[in-house]
Amino acid sequence: MIEDLTALGDLPQTLVRRARSAGVYLVWRAQTRAVRRVLVRERRVEETSASSVSGVGLQVFTEDGATALASRDDLLPDATLPLLDGAVRAAHGGRALGVHRAALPDLPPTRAEVVPEECRHFDALSLREAGERLVELEEEWARRSPGPSLRLAYGTDLDAWRVGRSDGTDVLYAMPRCVLRGAATTPSAGARHTVATAISSPHPRLLWDPERTALFLRRAEAAARLCLQLPDAPTHPPGSFPLVIDYALAKGLAHEAFGHASEADAFRSSILAKDGRFRVGDEVGPAHVSIVDETLPGDHAWQPFSPNGLPRRRTTIVSRGRLHEALSDPWSAAESGVAVTGAERAESYRHAPVPRMSNIRIEVEGALPAPGTFEDYGPEQVRELLAHAGVFRRHPRVVYLSGYSGGQVNTASGDFVFNCKALYTLSLDGIALYRPAIFSGSMFGALQSIREAFGPLLLDALGTCGKWGQSVPSSGGSHWFLVLDPHPAVRIGGSA
Amino acid sequence: MNLDLLVAALSAAKDVRAWSLGAAERRRLSLGVKDRQAGGPHAPIDLAESCAARYLLVWADGKVSKGSWERRQIEREAPAAIAAARLHAFDDPDAAQVAQPGPVPDVVLFDPRAAAVASGDTTLLAERLAQIRTRVAEAGFATWSGAFSSTLTEARVVNSAGVDVRERATAAGWHVSFEGELSDGHSGRGPEEDAAFSARLERAAALVRQLSGPAASAPAGEVPVLLHPNVVEEYVLSTLFDNLDGAAVAHGESAFRAEQFGAPSAVLREDMELAVDPLQPLRAGSYRVSGEGVAARPAAFLSRGRLVSPVLDLKYARRLKLPPSPIPYAMDTVRFGGPRAAGLPEALDGSALFVLHVLGVHTQDAVSGDFSLSAPQSLRVDAGEARGRVRATISGNLFRILRREDTLFVAFEGETTPGLLVRCHVA
Repeated sequence: MIEDLTALGDLPQTLVRRARSAGVYLVWRAQTRAVRRVLVRERRVEETSASSVSGVGLQVFTEDGATALASRDDLLPDATLPLLDGAVRAAHGGRALGVHRAALPDLPPTRAEVVPEECRHFDALSLREAGERLVELEEEWARRSPGPSLRLAYGTDLDAWRVGRSDGTDVLYAMPRCVLRGAATTPSAGARHTVATAISSPHPRLLWDPERTALFLRRAEAAARLCLQLPDAPTHPPGSFPLVIDYALAKGLAHEAFGHASEADAFRSSILAKDGRFRVGDEVGPAHVSIVDETLPGDHAWQPFSPNGLPRRRTTIVSRGRLHEALSDPWSAAESGVAVTGAERAESYRHAPVPRMSNIRIEVEGALPAPGTFEDYGPEQVRELLAHAGVFRRHPRVVYLSGYSGGQVNTASGDFVFNCKALYTLSLDGIALYRPAIFSGSMFGALQSIREAFGPLLLDALGTCGKWGQSVPSSGGSHWFLVLDPHPAVRIGGSA
Repeated sequence: MNLDLLVAALSAAKDVRAWSLGAAERRRLSLGVKDRQAGGPHAPIDLAESCAARYLLVWADGKVSKGSWERRQIEREAPAAIAAARLHAFDDPDAAQVAQPGPVPDVVLFDPRAAAVASGDTTLLAERLAQIRTRVAEAGFATWSGAFSSTLTEARVVNSAGVDVRERATAAGWHVSFEGELSDGHSGRGPEEDAAFSARLERAAALVRQLSGPAASAPAGEVPVLLHPNVVEEYVLSTLFDNLDGAAVAHGESAFRAEQFGAPSAVLREDMELAVDPLQPLRAGSYRVSGEGVAARPAAFLSRGRLVSPVLDLKYARRLKLPPSPIPYAMDTVRFGGPRAAGLPEALDGSALFVLHVLGVHTQDAVSGDFSLSAPQSLRVDAGEARGRVRATISGNLFRILRREDTLFVAFEGETTPGLLVRCHVA
């Protein structure tokens, strides 16, 4: 599959020459992707599927800055060369539509190849064996957690790109991703709740990795337990409260509240920009809090290069409470006065790359220690952690939001919302479980209210980021638990 | 699109007992606008060509293989693609079947104006862009974003039982948001007529102007809330259809249990209807045969508050011992309503919170029906007059709301989906 990208022959050079003779600058993107999936329900394989895509996207830029993208699901020269001609015509024809002209940035040529070792193992994966292994895991999960309806899915995704430009850039990279997901649903005839969990690995033998599957089963047990408890749980009244959020929710806060608003293609309307320029130096949080986006080897959202052929840089969005760097690509950086960070990503060769996150985290200076592993912490253990640190002296009753189940933001207004899997109240008097409720409000209020953190950084919270009609894997986290003081602009949703 | 090699290879494969293909070759032109900039590097004029086929193979030993093949596998590598599919075959007796041939309805799915745009004629696009730019200037909006697209599709559904349906269809869609606040648009088989396009644009602009006015205090407690049709589609209908999904019902992952379908007791209020009619001309959700080759027909999912049928493909129809249902591919072919309905002026006669957009729909648990949604784009309405913007949170349980006597369907101009006037918690 990756070999298809190295076997393009002289097609890249031919395309570049043809673009030059047409008077345009070319960014060419070739992609091959193989996705396989197995779904198990009730101890049997319910679905397997295998699909692949391959194709080329050609984005041309005229001398006066007009651009067009043409794509076709084929890597054959006979089909690709006419595609380039069509892109050139469309770019010139765009004048009639009043299209925007963007100055062509000056970019350093790059030649590189990054193909992780795990990629070699994808062809050897048998979906039949994966299905059998999923059934084993479901049986083990059901043995540990009798009662709920269980669903397990395993997906592998080998996503390989080769990207070139008129300046001679030629970069090949492959991103191996495997995810094991589980969902437990209340079996009762009355109200039903579904609670999901997931782990990832770049290695397709994830299902046979004892350490990873043990971690999955611990998380799956907790999910099953919760889905059985939720139907009897009351709803929590709305309002502003002292909060504890876990690392997955902290990822949601960083991603929804600050990450999207720091993407430079949105600076003409983002609340983190003024007159199209990033508000570098503005204080947006306390001095002990930073937000960092960084692509991490082995991570679900790892991506070493952008689909424009630039290396992706670590970006400190908030440094000690102040806006510092933006997520940018060559075009948005030029227009908004920030450094190029190579943060653009694209779902496929059919899409134009846009700046977006990979693995984003909230870092808190002076985080307090937490013994054991994150999975050791149920609400009782979190309560003990808070009690030991004296949090209840400040706030006798704290709302603990556990587990992330998605979010959304309006980058123009700064309104964000995300949901949890469970809500608990913690106090020295006891613990009470409530049904999930949304956590919403103003991004500045949320960041300002972060008071303290517990535990080391844990960055494996998974997600899928949708922006501008494109979905890409996302990830991130924080310290195991963050404590937020109450803030009038940050609220827990409402009662049913 | 040439399926000949693939069909020949499947027909010749002795170990393939039955097969089904749903193939489509598409040509699409699209253009984005980000913060007033049309066609910039992040949203360029985009010409896309694609060809893919979803397949189901039933092998001689009864196992099945499912997936999709891309252009090169369809046109040049068919024998190898079939051999590769065998490697992931699995036992699934309910899926081991293909649709039988039968009458196929005539449905208008092709609009020459959409085909012209998809083939590169941007005249209509230029006119619509100019109209939006004029409207933005007149309203004094600082920014707007949006997207336009047109697609021409040559599709073919063919299987080993004799189904062979070829189709030429188009799609056209657009959406726009003003001031990053509120989005509206339309999708169908052809472009909206000029008058409908202008009216939709004006309605969206008027709502954004009202949102940019002075803020109002939020009503609190359980109060009347009017959900805009966009909210009804995005949250209410999507939640209902999540729970009507045949797989979810069969596996106990739905709010509705299999034995409730066809039973005499109502799960929603006894006058509520939910149905689909995919035979309507030029709707986004219209079709002649499904990707599996099942002929389209109108059908009810809920009638008089009672469950009639889940959304069923061939596999889950067999599993649940029901006939396959039509598929609600888009909401413009869905009919959701009942006799307790009102026009917009009547619905807003008293006091209500008018919710235009919600954040966080995909974070909700569809199975429980509990919802807790941020509604920062809402208007407080008193005696029919918008009194100002409210940033609210609405919460409740959808199923309880749809059983309440005071829930009312509200007709909106230019919308196929009604709004809903409900009572729920506002904070």
